[in-house]
Amino acid sequence: MTYDASAEREGRPGARPAADPTFWGRLTGWGPYHVLMRIATASPRRQFAILAAFPILWVLTQHLGPMLQMLRVSLTDAYPVAPGVEQSFTLENYARFFGDSIFWMPFFRTLTFAAVFTFCTLVITYPVAYFLARHVSRRNQMLFLLLLLIPFWVGEIVRTYAIMILLGNTGAVNMVLRFFGLIDRPIPFMYTSFSMGVGIVYLTALYMLLPLYSALEKLPKSMNEAAADLGAGAWTRFRRISLPMTIEGISSGCTLVFLISTGFYATPILLGGPSTTVFAETIAGFFHVAGDEWPTGAAFATIMFAAALVITAAFQRLMNALRKGDRT
Amino acid sequence: MTDQTPLVRIEGLSKHFGETVALQDLTLDIAQGEFVTFLGPSGCGKSTTLRILGGFERPTKGRVILDGEDVTGQPPERRNVNMVFQDYALFPHMTVAQNIAFGLELKGMGKADIKRRSDEIMSFLELDAFGSRYPLQLSGGQRQRVALARALAPDPALLLLDEPLGALDAKLRGQVQQELKSIQRRTHKTFFFVTHDQEEALTMSDRIVVMNKGRVEQDGTPEELYFRPASRFVAEFIGETNLLSGHVRGTEGDKVVMDWEGTTLKGKAPARVPGEGQPITASVRLEKLGFHAERPQTANAVQGRVVSKTFLGSRMSMQIAVGDKGDALLKAYVDAETGQSVGNDPVWIGWEADNMAVLND
Amino acid sequence: MNNRPELFRGNRIFLACIYWAFVLYVFVPLILMVLMGFKDSKFIGFPIRSWTLDWYTGVFADAEVISTFGYSVAIAVLSTLISIFVGTWIAVLLEGRKFTGRGVTFGLTVLPALVPGIISAIAFRIYARYLGIEPGMGAIIWAHAVHNVPFVVLVVMARLSTLPKSQIEAARDLGADPLVAFMRITLPYLVPAILGASIFCLLLSFDDFVRSFFLGGYDPTLPVLIFAKLRSGMSPEINAIATVALVLTAAIGIWAERFTRRMNKEN
Repeated sequence: MTYDASAEREGRPGARPAADPTFWGRLTGWGPYHVLMRIATASPRRQFAILAAFPILWVLTQHLGPMLQMLRVSLTDAYPVAPGVEQSFTLENYARFFGDSIFWMPFFRTLTFAAVFTFCTLVITYPVAYFLARHVSRRNQMLFLLLLLIPFWVGEIVRTYAIMILLGNTGAVNMVLRFFGLIDRPIPFMYTSFSMGVGIVYLTALYMLLPLYSALEKLPKSMNEAAADLGAGAWTRFRRISLPMTIEGISSGCTLVFLISTGFYATPILLGGPSTTVFAETIAGFFHVAGDEWPTGAAFATIMFAAALVITAAFQRLMNALRKGDRT
Repeated sequence: MTDQTPLVRIEGLSKHFGETVALQDLTLDIAQGEFVTFLGPSGCGKSTTLRILGGFERPTKGRVILDGEDVTGQPPERRNVNMVFQDYALFPHMTVAQNIAFGLELKGMGKADIKRRSDEIMSFLELDAFGSRYPLQLSGGQRQRVALARALAPDPALLLLDEPLGALDAKLRGQVQQELKSIQRRTHKTFFFVTHDQEEALTMSDRIVVMNKGRVEQDGTPEELYFRPASRFVAEFIGETNLLSGHVRGTEGDKVVMDWEGTTLKGKAPARVPGEGQPITASVRLEKLGFHAERPQTANAVQGRVVSKTFLGSRMSMQIAVGDKGDALLKAYVDAETGQSVGNDPVWIGWEADNMAVLND
Repeated sequence: MNNRPELFRGNRIFLACIYWAFVLYVFVPLILMVLMGFKDSKFIGFPIRSWTLDWYTGVFADAEVISTFGYSVAIAVLSTLISIFVGTWIAVLLEGRKFTGRGVTFGLTVLPALVPGIISAIAFRIYARYLGIEPGMGAIIWAHAVHNVPFVVLVVMARLSTLPKSQIEAARDLGADPLVAFMRITLPYLVPAILGASIFCLLLSFDDFVRSFFLGGYDPTLPVLIFAKLRSGMSPEINAIATVALVLTAAIGIWAERFTRRMNKEN
């Protein structure tokens, strides 16, 4: 039964031929729309299928597709395929990685750097997040946080450049040091793992800060007070209360920062030197040259992604175990 | 539509959520213009019934026939049924007038008709002054009226009300109950009301359906339910009562004779009377017990001793120890003066057989 | 009991120092970079002895820089529109009723946000060729759109989870079909989230380097242009360009922050 039918019978206002329906009335009353909607909502199952089809198709083809295609290309001997040439399956591209230290050295360097920089980011941002969540009044928290967010809206390249200006031989740091007579000649900060570290921590700090802040913010204040009441000192309170209670935040912050750190390409080029070549540069090298190097590049990217996933998964398991261990 | 064809016919309705059975084989007719209340504790199946009638859930089994048409598989937008939600569900980004016009627009009504109908319903519910306000600017009672207006505006055949008074404070609730009842009378609409509040159900309904564990416990007028509960559950759920557990002696016409604490009692028989010697429970309301200095002429009389009195203003609530060992307790209401005169001496408590309902469990 | 605030006072001062030091760490490099854009010398470095606006006038007169700006903005806007459309749709699916495979769908949805930058860029580069998309504006828009979808989904889902189910049911009850209920109830409710997500996507796209670099054709986006200029040597001209980009992004960011906060307050 439609509303109109019943209204007609009882002489309700809806029965009169509507002089001037609103947009929505006109749309739902419009024949083709009406028919389409009837078909679409004929059963809950069909309605759900219509809702779900596009998103599922999208994530499969657009989110998963590129990764699968990369994996596929990494297992072929030539890509793109030249006309008349047979493309065949091979593991050669993976074997190449282990064959030459020029390949696996940057790989391990990247993972080591990423781990060290992640740890540095954690150590630097934890007290900041702690201060924000525990010692700033709720009214001011958003303001204090906003102050830190503003610089993070600025892009990767611009911020990397800013670090170059800070650390260069004629940069701000060297100028200040020289002004106070601490050094005679500039310290060569740039093009070292140090400058790269400063840059990467600068770029990733936010991704550590936010998970830590939200974890710390959830922590009831009374808990620390209770611990203090029981005679726990600042260090004990931190080690026994705050740290275990925020492991989840630490875990997700570290995972995020680690994954991001392994993926930097421009920053290591601009801030690093010959001794700090990262794997991203190695991978990119295969895509600058002729097309037949793509399979190797794809294989290397796959190796790196797999390694990053394995490490973060292992790390999260470890953190989970720590958390559970502490609860029991 | 004649009086013989019910407005709503519910046939063998069941709803399962996985393993749990929310509703078990419900069959029921609702007549045009009735104020029907589904009453029961949470999880009894009353809300599931309401949501099936509204089209928000599909029954596992059974059919819903509205105005002669099977609407079981119809989505809510194609049913001539509207609902007042528990949280009112007013659209916060629309004014009161826009909220009320929402259903009218989608019926394809013209703008002038929408305006006329909205004004009509707003003045009917005394909302004229609030047309351009937003829901957040209204009080709880006003919101409730807007929700009612919005649901009534499209002129539904059946109005569903899902505990709409739950969000109001106790004082306002009493007033709104009266209002709601009078609106129902004036509009001649069929109201399907769901609540867990027995007092609310008793004050407003023409008919109450008491639900428990997905099944109907009793279906009747408020008076029937109160004075002649069909089951122990109904007796306990509605009002305060004395439940007397004893054994069947036999029957006398439409009365059951039972043993209770060494006394023989008579009460109205339930649908099924268990055999002689079987355990049975009877219910007698607190205000039906009379106090006497000597054995009264009523069908039932027991002697006991008052063990506690609670002063409630116009009346008093008493606890009386009765029975062989004096460990069975009866509760009774008496007017305050009688209550004060009762001392420590043994008293007689008497009540008529018609005032005691023998129950099926 | 009264001396409890005293108990934490030492920590408080210590932590406040760390916080402000961090603020310096975050701001000083950018301030220095801005200052350097006003230096009246081709040579980057301190001290700055004389000041000029020449670098800025140069930048605004440079047709390449101006067109690059426009190019980056166009890419950001178009990719954001796609991300918002797709992300909102996915969020509605994921916040709706439970279905088998929901967890997997969610995992796949956030995947692009978790893939490290260089790998993401390489994978998009390979897939673009597979799909037959030539490097250039279309490829960049596509890659940015896909990459930003997870952020839209997360923001919209968070908002959607606070929409009472009864709102949609009430609309359906009053005669709205699922699509009309979405347009008239869900969408207005999502406006703050969608605006917030849009700004975030615009900034992500505008600032992105690695995907634009690997998927770009002959025309560079702004970060790619700055990178190219940096590789051929530092110059205050770059500072001027970067400062304009910085002011633009920061202004949009601050405006968005204030705007979303005002919207939240109104609700």
